[in-house]
Parts: sequence; C-alpha cells; structure tokens
Amino acid sequence: MNTLTTIDELAFAPPVQQEVLEDTTSDHALLEATRTGDEDAFAELVSRYRNQITSYIYRMTSDYDSAVDLAQETFVRVYRARDRYQRSYAFSTYIYRIATNLAISELRKRKRRKLVSLTGFFQSSDGAEPQELNPPDCRPLQDSELVDAERRHAVQRAIGTLPEKYRAPLILRDVDGRSYDEIARILETSEGTVKSRISRARGFLREKMRAYL
Amino acid sequence: MRETKCETVRRELEELMLSEDCSMSATQHLRECGDCREFHQKQTKLRQIVGSLGVVEAPADFDFRLRARLANESSGAGFHLRNMQWSFATKGFAAATMILLFIGGVVYLRTLVHQPETLELAQRQTPEPPQSGPRPVERNVVVPDHATVVASDNGPRRSKGVERPVTSKRASLVAVDLGSERPPVISDSQRHSPIFPIDASLQSLRFSFDDGRGNARTISVPTITFGSQRVLPANNQFAQKRDDIW
Repeated sequence: MNTLTTIDELAFAPPVQQEVLEDTTSDHALLEATRTGDEDAFAELVSRYRNQITSYIYRMTSDYDSAVDLAQETFVRVYRARDRYQRSYAFSTYIYRIATNLAISELRKRKRRKLVSLTGFFQSSDGAEPQELNPPDCRPLQDSELVDAERRHAVQRAIGTLPEKYRAPLILRDVDGRSYDEIARILETSEGTVKSRISRARGFLREKMRAYL
Repeated sequence: MRETKCETVRRELEELMLSEDCSMSATQHLRECGDCREFHQKQTKLRQIVGSLGVVEAPADFDFRLRARLANESSGAGFHLRNMQWSFATKGFAAATMILLFIGGVVYLRTLVHQPETLELAQRQTPEPPQSGPRPVERNVVVPDHATVVASDNGPRRSKGVERPVTSKRASLVAVDLGSERPPVISDSQRHSPIFPIDASLQSLRFSFDDGRGNARTISVPTITFGSQRVLPANNQFAQKRDDIW
C-alpha cells in the first residue's frame, strides 16, 4: 500500500509532477507557440498577465466589470493579432499598450455619455475636470486595517479624477512599478514627458489627499 | 541658489523608486532643508498609499469567459462574413430592382409622352377623287400588334400616290384629319383583305359567338359618339363580316 501515514512521510514525499509550462519560457516564445496553434501557450500568457491587466484597467476606469471586459478584449486582440506581432519590444509593453488604448477609449466614451460617479462631484466653473466630493472622515477609526482600507479607497477615487494623460503614467509607475523607459514606450511618448506627467499627477494627488498625508 | 538646489533634489526624489536610496548630496540637502524634508515625507507617504493599492485579481472564470469569447469570435467570423455577403447580396438586389424600376418607368413615360409622335401611319394611300363635302375629324382605332396599317394622307410631306407599308409593333390610336380631305375609297379586294382600313360609316358593332354546338349568339353594340367625333366606328375590323367566316 503506497499511502502516506505520517506527517514525516508527507514532508518528505516526492513533489507531484505537473505538466506545466516553465516560467522561464519567454513571452515571445509563448506567443510564437500560440501562432502555431498551441492553445496552452496562449493560456499561459493569459495566466501571466490577466491580473496585471485587469488591475491596471481597473485603476484606470474605477469600474471592475468594465475592467474585466476590457482585459478580455485586450487578450482577444492579442490573440487576433498574433500573426502580426513583432518582437521589437517586450510583450508586456505590447499588451499594456493595448490595454491603455482600450481604457482611454472607455474613458472617452464615458465622457461623451456624460457618465459621472454616483458619489457626486463638483464641477468647477472653468470647465476643468469634475472634482469628486470626497470629504475626509476625520473621526478616529479603531482598526488600522479599516484606516488603510479607507485610505486606499480615497486614493483610488482621487486617481479616478485625474485627467487620463496623468492617470496612466502614474498608475504604471507608482502602482505597477514600471520604469520610465517602459512607460514611455507603452504610452508612445518621450521619457521626459512621462516624468513631467507623473510629477504633475503626484502634485494633483497631494492636493486631493492632503487630509490623509 | 538654494531654490535651484531644492528643485534639483526634489526632481531626483521624484524619479527614484521607493526602494532606491537618494544620492549623498540629496541626503545632505534633506538634512539641511526643512521644506524639502517635509516634501520628501509627504511624497513618500503618498507613493506608499498609491503603491498599497496592489493588484486586483481577475475573476475566477476569466479564462473560461475568454475561451468562450474567442470561440465566439472564431465562429462569429464566418457568420459575420456570411452576414456581410448576405448584406451585399440584399443591397445589390435592391439596387438592381431600383435600377430596373427606374428604367422601366423612364421607358413607360417616354412611351406615353412620345406616343403621338412615334406613331406613324403605315402607309398613305393615294387619294381618290373627292366625294361629297368635307367630313369631320375622325379618330380611328388602328389594328393591334404587328399589323400593317394602310391609310391615306394628303399632307404636304407625303407625295401623292406613294404607298408605304409600315409595320407597327404596338396597338395604337391614329388621328387622321379627314375634314378637308377626300375620304379613302376602299376597293372590294382591300375590304376583304386581312388588313382592313377602318371605315367611318355608321353601323353598329356586332359580335357573333359560336359555342361549338351550333348555337350562335350575336351581340350588337350601337355606335358610340361624342359630339361630332365617333370614337368607335361601326365598320371596323372587329365588326367585319366576311362570308367565308360567318
């Protein structure tokens, strides 16, 4: 009988052999395999990037459902364009660029439809971006986790009020931790512009988050 | 000088990742400059908050939905293509129908407009010597399709004594002004020929029917007149009586 009976045996049991694609396989190789009809390779690509892309689009749009939809659309576009993919830059740059374009399109569509947050906003008279009505709750909270959750919620709302040209680089830099060079390639702009926009975005956020800093 | 230094240091701090250390000169400046120190603290805290947002996970059924979507895309591509073809076929058919209707309409209108001009008498007969006084203008019903009409005309364009057979492909009305002309004289052979000019004599129109069992019925229709104009001449080809037929 080849069964485990003790904890010691469990600890020293041989690792279960799983037929998984190694993490060392590059994104380029996976996409190349996808091009030849290997569905598992594409599934591996999806599993690598689905959370990152969903999260990034969610930070951009502040709407989870549309973020999931757009993330799926991103992968659909990658799959559709698998034959046209060029290895001139990293796959992550490529997929983030698609996601960024989709997210910005969604934001512009919303702007056209005049969709606004149900939490209310103050529209300034000079036609600037709508400002979220987000008065900080100054009452002390007992649980530090609740404080952190409230702070994260506030910063997410504050990011949501940033103009899209400041929002994308800020998220890519401060949330995703990407380099200026990669952000510049994703947004198809210069590195100097990226730095300038991130600096401006942080300035906006500092103003909005004054109560939490 | 100090402002320039502050600006330089702040820019350096902006560009650094949170985990990275700033340069020695920047560290030295932060020790000396309270404003830059405060800026650095707020900036670090803000970036920590933003960085704490973390990654939002995709739903558990993300892969399943994506596969379904891709499957739909691949099957939908054919449907889309078929749909496009159907759409093109429908549009083409509609366009062809419209063009045919337009052409038909144009032809019909031209026929209506130019009918009096295009209708020609098949042949003008040489006028016979005049009979009694002038006769009123008559409108004669001319034979139907593919019939040759023989008529008389003394108009200035026609040379007298010239007979011209013309084949008309349509049933038509012909207006012949006989008021100032002598009426045509139809010989007996012409009268019994298959092509028979219309006579203007006042006789009723009669139809005879035979049901095949020897029961003959005759319907007589009186001549219809509108003032001086006889629309339906009595002695036309429909009322023609021939001994060898009836």
